Amino acid sequence: MESLLQHLDRFSELLAVSSTTYVSTWDPATVRRALQWARYLRHIHRRFGRHGPIRTALERRLHNQWRQEGGFGRGPVPGLANFQALGHCDVLLSLRLLENRALGDAARYHLVQQLFPGPGVRDADEETLQESLARLARRRSAVHMLRFNGYRENPNLQEDSLMKTQAELLLERLQEVGKAEAERPARFLSSLWERLPQNNFLKVIAVALLQPPLSRRPQEELEPGIHKSPGEGSQVLVHWLLGNSEVFAAFCRALPAGLLTLVTSRHPALSPVYLGLLTDWGQRLHYDLQKGIWVETESQDVPWEELHNRFQSLCQAPPPLKDKVLTALETCKAQDGDFEVPGLSIWTDLLLALRSGAFRKRQVLGLSAGLSSV
Amino acid sequence: MAQDSVDLSCDYQFWMQKLSVWDQASTLETQQDTCLHVAQFQEFLRKMYEALKEMDSNTVIERFPTIGQLLAKACWNPFILAYDESQKILIWCLCCLINKEPQNSGQSKLNSWIQGVLSHILSALRFDKEVALFTQGLGYAPIDYYPGLLKNMVLSLASELRENHLNGFNTQRRMAPERVASLSRVCVPLITLTDVDPLVEALLICHGREPQEILQPEFFEAVNEAILLKKISLPMSAVVCLWLRHLPSLEKAMLHLFEKLISSERNCLRRIECFIKDSSLPQAACHPAIFRVVDEMFRCALLETDGALEIIATIQVFTQCFVEALEKASKQLRFALKTYFPYTSPSLAMVLLQDPQDIPRGHWLQTLKHISELLREAVEDQTHGSCGGPFESWFLFIHFGGWAEMVAEQLLMSAAEPPTALLWLLAFYYGPRDGRQQRAQTMMAYVMATCRHGDLQPCGQRRSPVPTEVARDETLPAHSPAKRRPFFPKVI
Repeated sequence: MESLLQHLDRFSELLAVSSTTYVSTWDPATVRRALQWARYLRHIHRRFGRHGPIRTALERRLHNQWRQEGGFGRGPVPGLANFQALGHCDVLLSLRLLENRALGDAARYHLVQQLFPGPGVRDADEETLQESLARLARRRSAVHMLRFNGYRENPNLQEDSLMKTQAELLLERLQEVGKAEAERPARFLSSLWERLPQNNFLKVIAVALLQPPLSRRPQEELEPGIHKSPGEGSQVLVHWLLGNSEVFAAFCRALPAGLLTLVTSRHPALSPVYLGLLTDWGQRLHYDLQKGIWVETESQDVPWEELHNRFQSLCQAPPPLKDKVLTALETCKAQDGDFEVPGLSIWTDLLLALRSGAFRKRQVLGLSAGLSSV
Repeated sequence: MAQDSVDLSCDYQFWMQKLSVWDQASTLETQQDTCLHVAQFQEFLRKMYEALKEMDSNTVIERFPTIGQLLAKACWNPFILAYDESQKILIWCLCCLINKEPQNSGQSKLNSWIQGVLSHILSALRFDKEVALFTQGLGYAPIDYYPGLLKNMVLSLASELRENHLNGFNTQRRMAPERVASLSRVCVPLITLTDVDPLVEALLICHGREPQEILQPEFFEAVNEAILLKKISLPMSAVVCLWLRHLPSLEKAMLHLFEKLISSERNCLRRIECFIKDSSLPQAACHPAIFRVVDEMFRCALLETDGALEIIATIQVFTQCFVEALEKASKQLRFALKTYFPYTSPSLAMVLLQDPQDIPRGHWLQTLKHISELLREAVEDQTHGSCGGPFESWFLFIHFGGWAEMVAEQLLMSAAEPPTALLWLLAFYYGPRDGRQQRAQTMMAYVMATCRHGDLQPCGQRRSPVPTEVARDETLPAHSPAKRRPFFPKVI
């Protein structure tokens, strides 16, 4: 067991080195050895992937490595993403070496011969490296063709395939981090927040929070674990959002109203903070007597239309959330003085607008003119 | 060898031109043309590789100075990269160009360039920058997430198609026909990639509200080809949809079956049954439209071969498989018998469709007499031209080999005078074109023969028949069509 773990360590080092200029010192024999190691580890993954103790030991070792690196994604070059990555570690290594310009001519020639020996080389039980690489190339062109010939961004972000994939990866990663205890997931998320394009990150978080609960199926343990249980991951995300007010403010600002309503319905813990934010935004608006509308105090404030949009969307949510929202609005209105006349309290005006909107909607739908809940 | 290299040079020019026109296959025309030629291009690549692997890098450049350009153009066409093994063969060809020990800067540059192209095949085709940054930021390499991404895209497109199918009239969420057509084109090179199966299935099963066919014929052909060569596995419903939507595919499937039957050397019944069940045609034939086409092809084959016994045997095995499939088919999809057999009376069809095994021995004579009656009525009392005439009746009857066997068994078993009805059936089975008189003579001949031979072989010894002389009479074929044991004694 210990030799196996050491092997894993050596290989991770190897993988890290394979993208650096250090490979210029490699000769064909080194290349061959490196590929052999990779093949060995892949074989280990195949044989012991389902074997509890060995798998756990390997995973723990990987987590150790991450801890030492200071959390993955931080180092200049990522190592093995997770245990499943062992299943294709030979592909990882091969691609890194292939792309590395520093590799010497003789070594490169040897590498190419090893990777692509030609037809007639078949392995009875395992897919050869050549087949894996060819399949990767095929899948990449498949994605490319689908992307440019049939894919259209889904207006419901949570159903968009690109978003979904990113969300699945995020949840999977959070689970790994949770297991590794390399850093508290919150810290990991904060580091992501600092490094990644924020707009996209926020969308991915929203989609991740809306993923349907799936139970982990035993046969998928050997595959890239896309179908992990999102339950724990969601909790971590919610917790982190609640703990970082500036992130949450950006979250609520950047995302469309409908998406936020769905997220808040699904995770009730977020609703008080969301409502709080909305009330803060509302209070920043003042009434312009001349124009007869509510306007922002400063340019970066949320305008009336957007505020109204969000409340409208929230009022279309199913009962527990909807009632909370209305109660909050009524309370604010009461605090302001409980006016019925427009122009004095934004809360009055909002409620009026929401009611008339609802009234119009009921008319259009052919329902009775009674104003029941709104 | 010399001829091969001349051919190769010609082909080379042809493909170079084609690739230049296709470029990155971004327009409808280039995509269609690429789809039509991908298979041939792969063959060319294979030939190319066979030639290149014998030479070293410098020789290759001398012989084919523009080879690099050709390979690069191919790599930039995603339809080519996506097809079957083309990406592998391209890589092999590129590897033949690599110089083990570059002597000058030119050769080094070539090596470097090849590396770039290899990278492109394996690692490029990056799209959304944000997605790439995100996944990188999480510590994932493309190999980690591409399978999942492809799966999500395929499932998302498949469910969009299904929704389009169900909500056809809701114009807001309708999928534009061009988009569906475009998807079908994209699937052509990807047909053997199992990740794409859900999309292929959705394309086949879901059709929008357009009156004309949206999917490209290349798509149907590619799917059909993959099904026949067992390179794809689709649910039966999708296969049925394919054959219903694209008649040439169904015909090709039948021809494929015929070819298999013809090319394999001694066909025992078990083998025929294997081939037939393998082809999925009996199950598909539960849909009357498919059954009619299949039946028509059998009819043509029978007429062309002038009633070849092998065809009759095949028809009988097919019908047996078909009836089995029909029983298993869900109750909801039951069609009226008339849709399967429009040229015969429903009562006759119903009687014939029964399983002879289900009939208790005591009732055999009754049932056979009934069949004989119905058939005789159809044959003798109808005027020519109506309901297809005697041929249609005979064609229907020969579908069901079990009855003729039963007649023979009945005749052989009973020592009493053979009933006219049974004789008629047997005579009809072997001589559909006989006039009434001729048939009557045949029947008489049989009666005479049995009387002359006196005691017939008892049932148990039927396996070793009494050797008799072969009849020269062409209405009595020398051996039975369906089983190896002769069940009709040879008559002088």
